[in-house]
Amino acid sequence: MEKRPDMIRRHSAGAIFMHWFNAGCWIALLATGLGLIDNPELQPLGMWWVRTLHALGLDGVLLLQVHATLGLVWASVYAVFSLVRLKSETWPFLREVGTFSPQSDLTWVLRKTLTLTVGEERLRAKGLATELPAQGFYNAGQKLFAVPAVLGSAGLVATGLIALFSRAWPGGADVVQWALAIHFLCAALVAVGLVVHVYMATIAPGEGPAFRSMFTGFVPEDFARHHNPLWHERVAAGRDETLAKRDKRSI
Amino acid sequence: MPRYVMVIDSSRCINCKTCVAACQQENRVPYGYARNWIKVGAGATSPGLHFQPGNCMHCDEPICVSACPTGATFKDPADGVVKVNTALCIGCGSCIATCPYGARFRNPELGVADKCDYCPRLRALGREPACVAVCPTRARRFGDLDDPASGLRALIDKGPVVRLTAPATDTKPAIFYLGRTSPTDWPKDVTPPLPIGLWGAIMAPLTRVVGGAVLLGVAGVALRQLVAGRGEGQREGHGKAS
Ligand code: HEM
Repeated sequence: MEKRPDMIRRHSAGAIFMHWFNAGCWIALLATGLGLIDNPELQPLGMWWVRTLHALGLDGVLLLQVHATLGLVWASVYAVFSLVRLKSETWPFLREVGTFSPQSDLTWVLRKTLTLTVGEERLRAKGLATELPAQGFYNAGQKLFAVPAVLGSAGLVATGLIALFSRAWPGGADVVQWALAIHFLCAALVAVGLVVHVYMATIAPGEGPAFRSMFTGFVPEDFARHHNPLWHERVAAGRDETLAKRDKRSI
Repeated sequence: MPRYVMVIDSSRCINCKTCVAACQQENRVPYGYARNWIKVGAGATSPGLHFQPGNCMHCDEPICVSACPTGATFKDPADGVVKVNTALCIGCGSCIATCPYGARFRNPELGVADKCDYCPRLRALGREPACVAVCPTRARRFGDLDDPASGLRALIDKGPVVRLTAPATDTKPAIFYLGRTSPTDWPKDVTPPLPIGLWGAIMAPLTRVVGGAVLLGVAGVALRQLVAGRGEGQREGHGKAS
């Protein structure tokens, strides 16, 4: 009988729940938020989107209610989770995605982009290196998306709260106007990154095990050794501060 | 479909301000605020003072509407009236800052934009807006420009009429002043507030360009991958991290 690969813990159940809760909320908030921009000069997607939602019975007032309510629920659940799991999840995650090693990360992003666009064979034929620098728990591309995703989300919550209470806002109208413009900018930044994120997570070659880990919580040890060797080294040495050391198992 | 306009003979106005009070009462305008006004001009048609009644001009090209992010303020195609959907207004105040006529204010009780809407309650009852109905000298006339029975088209065609505009901003106001009126120099050129201006001029177009390019790029990569066949991906982690 073939031995099944050793699996190691990559994401906790809580983190998995939060990721998909976040993804669902984000997509719904993006859809309704874009639908709220009922002004051709300010609408990036095109007025067809607004017309489509209106035709589906989601008029502006309803969109505003859904968007504001969902935004509040999303931000509240996130705030509670982040605080409750501050030491075990939030802080390690922020430290992980916020730690860059510029030279290696830049090399990784450049080579990965070239491989995906030009192709490995053609790069090799031209004598260009295709080997990727060793990565930690998250690779450079993931960190490059995670940082704006975190900062953009924080900006969205702050400016969203100002917009939510704008009618009762005691300060000047200019604060509310800036809040709206920054709200848009944060959403646009993350949304553009999201296109790449979803591609890399679902379609990009070789990412299958990482994708499945966002459901099961586990990746094959061999996959981790090749894709995230710096993380794997820590896990193997029992020095990992994440869940991995507690949860190494064979399935 | 009706196209409501106002025709004002300002030479008839005696500055009694009944129109202002009637509007405040009919529309429950908070104390200290008003949706309409009477401006004092120089002697335009008669010796002495000249008074000029006014309110939202219900412009055919309203820039308050182009400044509104959510479409809460809109020119109703059904009657030409510029309205505020208070349930959709988020109180950002862009429209208030962008009206050349200062015809809007922030309703302190509701926190949303407030302005003349030609008294929809009274119109539904087949009556004229409050300011028109109470004017003792009939300085204000209101009606459907396209309805010959209103007589407004004939009044305008007889001329001369003045449409008050800011020096460089013609929003095609739908209030017609008969004869010469005064003052005429008060409408101001306006630009949208800076954040909304930047959003329209830079942020939205940039998002379109960058977002479009990224979408196309990702679609191209996915297509290439389909043609080249699904590889197992690159060998990773053999280089040294620096
Ligand atoms: C249908 C949409 C989505 C899919 C299929 C997806 C998939 C994934 C997967 C598989 C991972 C784990 C990668 C790994 O373990 O190496 C991940 C991580 C992550 N996801 Fe998503 N995701 C989606 C939407 C979102 C959204 C909407 C956001 C936030 C706006 C988001 C933010 C993140 C972040 C911050 C991480 C961790 C680090 C990173 O990969 O950058 N995801 N996602």
